[in-house]
Amino acid sequence: MDFREDNLMLVLGLIVIAFILAQSVTFLVRALKRGNELGIAKSTMKNTMIQSVLFTITPALAIVATIIALTPALGIILPWIRLSVIGNITQETAAATAAIEAVTEGGSLALPITDEKSFATVMWVMTLASSLPLVILPLCLKRIQHGMNKAMNKSGDSKLTDTLAAAAFIGLIAAFIARALAGTGTITTEADGTLKNNYDGAGLLSVATLVSSTVIMLILSKIAEKKNITWLSNFAMPISMFAAMGVAILLAQVLPEDLAYFEFRPPVVN
Amino acid sequence: MKKERNYVDKTHTFGSVWSFVMLLVLLTVPLIFCIFYNVWPSFKEVGQGLLPVALMFYPTAIIEIVAYTPLLGTGGMYLSFTTGNISNLKLPCALGALDTAKIKSNSEEGEVITTIAVATSAIVTTIIIAVFVLALKPFIPKLTDPDSLLAPAFKQVMPALFGALGASYFSKHWKVSILPIVVLTLIVIISGSIGAGVLIPIGVVVALLGTLALYKLKWL
Repeated sequence: MDFREDNLMLVLGLIVIAFILAQSVTFLVRALKRGNELGIAKSTMKNTMIQSVLFTITPALAIVATIIALTPALGIILPWIRLSVIGNITQETAAATAAIEAVTEGGSLALPITDEKSFATVMWVMTLASSLPLVILPLCLKRIQHGMNKAMNKSGDSKLTDTLAAAAFIGLIAAFIARALAGTGTITTEADGTLKNNYDGAGLLSVATLVSSTVIMLILSKIAEKKNITWLSNFAMPISMFAAMGVAILLAQVLPEDLAYFEFRPPVVN
Repeated sequence: MKKERNYVDKTHTFGSVWSFVMLLVLLTVPLIFCIFYNVWPSFKEVGQGLLPVALMFYPTAIIEIVAYTPLLGTGGMYLSFTTGNISNLKLPCALGALDTAKIKSNSEEGEVITTIAVATSAIVTTIIIAVFVLALKPFIPKLTDPDSLLAPAFKQVMPALFGALGASYFSKHWKVSILPIVVLTLIVIISGSIGAGVLIPIGVVVALLGTLALYKLKWL
């Protein structure tokens, strides 16, 4: 059986999920109790929960899509664990990509990891990469809150902090956009010695998908904002993503193969 | 007043204990795998993979903690940073809940409401992901087969994902976005096979420096 998806991995996944649920439920029960003590209306707390469920459903489906994207290389259990604890869409994809590139020769998210040691290395890298907040928060959160309350009373320039946090994400997203616009694809050698083009470089399909996704997202957000459609605003991101993937399938079906799979630069052999 | 301080103080203790427990649980996963298969990657091997990622994630984690502290409250912070997906899930839930309930974030009522929102979101996300993962598991190999109809879509998940994700960031912060996209695209044009692990820290540094420059020039 594939070690990436065997019973051991499944049990480990279920244990992690059980702990996350236990933590979330205890925080929820504690907050509801305190809310009652403070006299917050039951309907307010109930509406908060319903709204949060609605806000969550679609982004959670986008997370499932990311898990599927990481599956060819890592199997389904590790991405499931990583995207359920601390991880987020951008960080886990970046961590997995960097870890695979570092530990396997010519590896990528499109190719399965076939040995246990490389897989263990990727697991350690992804875990250690995301665990820092669990150390920082107990040590520093109280102090940060204290300092922040002081500073907020003083200057009030939270705009720069917000923009810097957004800029860090933009830098991360820009890396993937640049690869979709200009990255070189790879050719790998199969077990029987034949060369296989992975079609993972920048080309017609990657640019068409990127542009479709961005444009659809902008249009949907604008419509949702102008017409005040809450569900559309909540669903805009997954709709854009799946629609852009649909564009990729459509182009691959209707265009001649040479054109559909055209890449801007010749792929390199790994 | 005394009781209010007690609740927040207790939340700090409660959150710290859970953070420690979750850290242990997380580290146990690769450890048990290594024991079971008797494979032990060296520090050097793990370090080589970790270094480029840590250069990116550790500063980002610190920036995020500082940026989200005034928005998520004490309970919301501990829970959000354990369950992840903050900017795309927990933060919109918390802010939406405060807005709908018409409660200020810097009050104890706000603390309670954000914790309820974040906890509900975490429970729902965990259940949705688990159900989909367990239900889809048998079909995954067929779906991702190179000859399947869906294969081109799976090859293009990254552009589809980052196009949609980037659109909201770029439209809100377009001035900040131009420099990192241009610089990174030029780098990739020069060196097409450069890895994401190298590219990401460069992107973050360029974006942060660009933002500070725009701030100094008062162009933000």
